[in-house]
Amino acid sequence: MSHTIKPGDYVIVQRQRYTKLYKVKPKGNLTLGYFIIEIDKVIGEPYETIFQMKPKQDSKKLYSLEKVEQLTTISQLNIESSGKDNRNITDDGTSQSLTKEEIIKLKDESLSSADIVGKLINNSKTFSSKTEYSQEKYMKKKEKKYFEYVQFRKPTLRLLVQMYYRQEPAKILGLRIDDVSQILTYGNVQAGGNFILYDSGTSGLMTASILNSIGANTEGCLIHMHPGNECQKNAVLALQFPQEQLDRCINVNLYSVLRCFYQNEDSYCENDNQTKELDCDEKTETTESKIETAGNKRKLSSDNSEMPPPKKACWQYDNEKACKILTNKVDGLIITCKEHPVNIFKELVSFLKGSRTFVVFHLMREPLEELYVHLKTTLEFISLRLSNNFMRNYQVLPDRTHPEVNMSSGGYILTGFKLS
Amino acid sequence: MSFDGFKTLIKEGDTVILYLTIHQVYAVTAESKTLSKKGTLVDNVFQTPYGALKCGDLINKEYGSKINLSKGWGYILQPTPELWTLTLPHRTQIIYTPDASMIVLQLELSPGNIVIECGTGSGSLSHALIRSIKPHGHLYTFDFHENRVNIAQREFNSHGLSKYVTVQQRDVCADGFGTELEKKADAVFLDLPHPWLAIPHAAKCIKDTGGRICSFSPCIEQVQKACLKLKDVGFQELQTVEVLQTQYSVQTKSLSVLNLEFLKSPKLDNGSVKNEKESSRTLTAAPPVQQPGHTGFLTFATLPPIWARNIRITLDECNNAEMDE
Ligand SMILES: C[S@@+](CC[C@H](N)C(=O)[O-])C[C@H]1O[C@@H](n2cnc3c(N)ncnc32)[C@H](O)[C@@H]1O
Repeated sequence: MSHTIKPGDYVIVQRQRYTKLYKVKPKGNLTLGYFIIEIDKVIGEPYETIFQMKPKQDSKKLYSLEKVEQLTTISQLNIESSGKDNRNITDDGTSQSLTKEEIIKLKDESLSSADIVGKLINNSKTFSSKTEYSQEKYMKKKEKKYFEYVQFRKPTLRLLVQMYYRQEPAKILGLRIDDVSQILTYGNVQAGGNFILYDSGTSGLMTASILNSIGANTEGCLIHMHPGNECQKNAVLALQFPQEQLDRCINVNLYSVLRCFYQNEDSYCENDNQTKELDCDEKTETTESKIETAGNKRKLSSDNSEMPPPKKACWQYDNEKACKILTNKVDGLIITCKEHPVNIFKELVSFLKGSRTFVVFHLMREPLEELYVHLKTTLEFISLRLSNNFMRNYQVLPDRTHPEVNMSSGGYILTGFKLS
Repeated sequence: MSFDGFKTLIKEGDTVILYLTIHQVYAVTAESKTLSKKGTLVDNVFQTPYGALKCGDLINKEYGSKINLSKGWGYILQPTPELWTLTLPHRTQIIYTPDASMIVLQLELSPGNIVIECGTGSGSLSHALIRSIKPHGHLYTFDFHENRVNIAQREFNSHGLSKYVTVQQRDVCADGFGTELEKKADAVFLDLPHPWLAIPHAAKCIKDTGGRICSFSPCIEQVQKACLKLKDVGFQELQTVEVLQTQYSVQTKSLSVLNLEFLKSPKLDNGSVKNEKESSRTLTAAPPVQQPGHTGFLTFATLPPIWARNIRITLDECNNAEMDE
């Protein structure tokens, strides 16, 4: 994989702790909070390079980028005096003698965040009597606001999981990093196995995670079943897998592939002579899958005989490819869903081989309890475990180590083994 | 040989997981004879609370099937790194699955990667690492304890994993990881009492294109020292985290429902009203009365690619203090 940034690449833009996924376009602009950034200078530079945002003369909010070799940060500011405690500090809003306008002007003069923070300190009546700790806190808070450096990073699974979770957990069904990590382990996902994923929508994150564990230049395949018209694949695109690896991920609509499996056996059973998959018709994809989606809308496809079927649509080939794998059964079943899992599980577990594991993730515990009871009564599964995690991060600094003040709660995972 | 890939039938010599109940899970070897303590060949019989298992009988059975014991039955499974972690013979403290999972994801492992681990200990984590990087990756694992190195090597051989792993006896704090591994690794994992002594050596092993490190420590003082050293040798993006898993017991409870309505009206002649004893069934998941409250702190960090190493201040470092007070 190349280390320089090219047009078309997905990059993770990072400004301090904030990260965002961005597809590089020549002459593109990137919106990053308050800033609009011209991106062209990034092209051809290696990943992880750090750039400084420089305000453009003519327009507000528009910034260009300049590669930097050295950062000026607040840690280089020289703080002379500080107070012992905060007994004399009252914040009445008059401690800063610079006006708002003056501060904005500083920013537009393309001063670095360190310079601005320096000026703010010099014009603060109370700063020098603050304790060392609260001085540092103050400076970091201010620096955060004016921080002018950004970095362009190569997307990795870890960065994506953290980014999506921080931005909007609902878009990934609330999957936290520990959840993803355990789904992959308990699913026993590895190179050289075939896996089924049913995912009701994680922006492609689960697909990307499994593909990542299956690896490049290996044997493994993933059948990704989704409930919608088109599958979500943002995270898959972001990881920029080689084509060979992408080809081993078969995206199929859940309804459509099961109908093919049970009602259209001839299409995938015997003859392998029709494997010209490249020759399929991309455009028909949405038409059929629209019909297949969202459960109850009945189909009008099969008796739709006025359409001559010269070419099969891509989704038909994908269904057939998936069904071929399903007839031989798979080595792992993973379900990350927001629907009730029992029926989905019942249906899909019939494609799982004996002595293989399954993992069902849900944000709620109750549906998994019900699934557990169902599994117990069938006597076909052992080692059933329902779990969730307590996870917390720590601030580690000399004399100031403590758990971070905020924490989240993850989802629930039910795992087990199928008997032969 | 039963750890490499997915299997259907048990072959002679396979490690097999014998599952009786959720708390009674064992690893046995599918061999009809075994060496006794005196060094003579004897029948390989495994005693369980439900009677004896003649391990030779396992050969050619299907993984996932039921097996009869003299006083009951059990199930036989193909081992996974997780089942092995539950059943392996302990030589040391080991890394358990919730931590191991986090380690694999945060070290950004995928097939083809080169990983360094120290110490090997009981090989619990090693099995999870190997699964994530095979078939074309490699694990280099080190321990300074001769016997642990030998046992680990024997286990990797009998598990069919030896082509993916190199075990070496070495004091990595004193002697590093050897020149052959310089700039070779995608990731390094340390589970050592003094990780800060190995961190400078670890930094040398990471590829020029950058890589990840993880240090596992039970004590916060170790974490603090390790973090200082990590920053010192150029690691960035430090993150310390702990993960604790709760396993629930799913059960249907019957709760009696008190009827208090009848108290509001005078007693009927036959007096039958208050005898109605109702109950309601509730499905619930109860956490265990006691569970591990601490395993260790996981500290992760990134060594940037060589062209970005001279800029020492990380862009995300400013996050930490923001939550103080
Ligand atoms: C807690 S155990 C590791 C357990 C292992 N992670 C597992 O999951 O099984 C720590 C190991 O580090 C080894 N060790 C300690 N100091 C070492 C050193 N300086 N060089 C090499 N190995 C060392 C010990 O012999 C011990 O086996």
